[in-house]
Amino acid sequence: MVNVRDERPASPPALPAPRISLRALRLSIGGSRFRGLLLSTASLAIAFSIWQLLSTFIFNPFLIPPPVEVIRTAIPMIMSGEIFADVSISMVRVLVGFISGSLMGILFGVLLGRIRILHELLDPIMELLRYLSPTAMITIAVIWFGIGEMSKYFLIFWGTFFIVVVNTTAGVWRAPVTRQRAAECLGANQLEIFVMVIIPSAVPYIVTGMRVAMASSFMSIIPAEILAADSGIGYLLQKSSLLLQTNRIFVALLTICLLGFVVDRIFRFLVERVLTRYMSYVSVT
Amino acid sequence: MRVANLRKTYDSAHQPYVALDGVDVEITDGEFFCLLGPSGCGKSTLLNILAGFEPATSGSVTFKGRAVTGAGRDRVMFFQDAGSALFPWLSVEENVRFGLRVRKVPKGEWETIIQTYLRMVDLDRHRTKFPSQLSGGMRQRLQIARALAVEPEVLLMDEPFGALDALTRRRMHSVLLTIWQRTGKTVVFVTHDIAEAILLADRIAMMSVGPRSTIAKIFTVDLPRPRDLTHPKVAQLFHEIEALLEPDVVRSEQLMAAQ
Repeated sequence: MVNVRDERPASPPALPAPRISLRALRLSIGGSRFRGLLLSTASLAIAFSIWQLLSTFIFNPFLIPPPVEVIRTAIPMIMSGEIFADVSISMVRVLVGFISGSLMGILFGVLLGRIRILHELLDPIMELLRYLSPTAMITIAVIWFGIGEMSKYFLIFWGTFFIVVVNTTAGVWRAPVTRQRAAECLGANQLEIFVMVIIPSAVPYIVTGMRVAMASSFMSIIPAEILAADSGIGYLLQKSSLLLQTNRIFVALLTICLLGFVVDRIFRFLVERVLTRYMSYVSVT
Repeated sequence: MRVANLRKTYDSAHQPYVALDGVDVEITDGEFFCLLGPSGCGKSTLLNILAGFEPATSGSVTFKGRAVTGAGRDRVMFFQDAGSALFPWLSVEENVRFGLRVRKVPKGEWETIIQTYLRMVDLDRHRTKFPSQLSGGMRQRLQIARALAVEPEVLLMDEPFGALDALTRRRMHSVLLTIWQRTGKTVVFVTHDIAEAILLADRIAMMSVGPRSTIAKIFTVDLPRPRDLTHPKVAQLFHEIEALLEPDVVRSEQLMAAQ
């Protein structure tokens, strides 16, 4: 057909600044992205305005402090670095538990997916254990590991491990038989099929599992810190609650929202950077 | 390739299901051999046994005098669903390289081999693309290149072009025929399309509907290629096969409905 250079039009001469109409914006190439950003901002702005109005005129501002108050409380907490100290402590706990839980989960998931007898032996145990949420394990974790870092690592690990195992095993099982047979025909032995075909085929499942586990880690670190810690976001919540500082509670809650969102975005960005080629699904034909 | 008195049964809840019974056929080297039959006639099962993916319950498959017991490097299977047969995380050239790597072909030869076969299927300008960026026909051509690169003696093809649109399909037929004529490989081609079988094959084995499927009749297509469906001899053969197949198609439908 044509070579690459022919497909690209020469750069157009500088045009006069166009007059922007909303319609043109929507139709422009970056339009959908810009539109999404615009709508998200609008959505948040409206929510904050309604919240401000409600807590000023209808609800007791002590119970639901208005956003302006919350921001006023947040500023000194940010300036003094207090909030960052708590955030980083919680984050380290989440990351240590999440990474070790994911690694062990992938390892076990791969083995369970591959070795039938191992799955048959361990599955009943896991079927029962996975109902023990990290929250349910807090008390025993504190007895086992004390209120230090180890008990938090353990709880996050606990929550991550089962989710990643189940997803990895499913991914290994669902590696298309066709693809394995194709590799076999081409001359791959069983080990090569496993390493070069089955595991790459399972990557999207593993990533999905890890993403769910990441969300669950954020859910479980808070109760763990509320019940048994002397630092971290959860501890900040608990301390503020004892002192009835609803402003500070709201700062902590907003921080959790923001942190979860940012971490998920970073996770997606990393996956896109490192694993894109494994994430592309090819349709049936 | 010789198939002698082949039988294949599957264990089911009530009683064993006899998929194939008494299949006898000899496929000559370099032949283009079609297995034709309605769905449920066991033609894919037979192909899987030839590939060595499934064992026969009794009877034997021998290739060059040796019994086929597993997937062998001399017989490469080509699948209809290129999406799951290709490695979507590998680029076009990496897909071809996969076979060379696992067959321990010396690294120095890779580049030439990849170049040769990608050019043969007209994909050499798309080497760095990924399967998801290719059209259906291009994916099937990549499958052909990947299979040929490991230099098998037999290509086993399971309704390879069934999912393509009519035009792409016709193009794939001529690509396949050209390659077959150039390389002299043996091709065993499964299809339920009478026209496709006549256009391509040296011989067409018509399979009866299961249970206990077998090869009911073998037609020799002694006509020069490229063949034209409107040619009187081709049309005559078409009607002959169609008439024979008709009751089986009806039976196949009834069997499906009864399940």
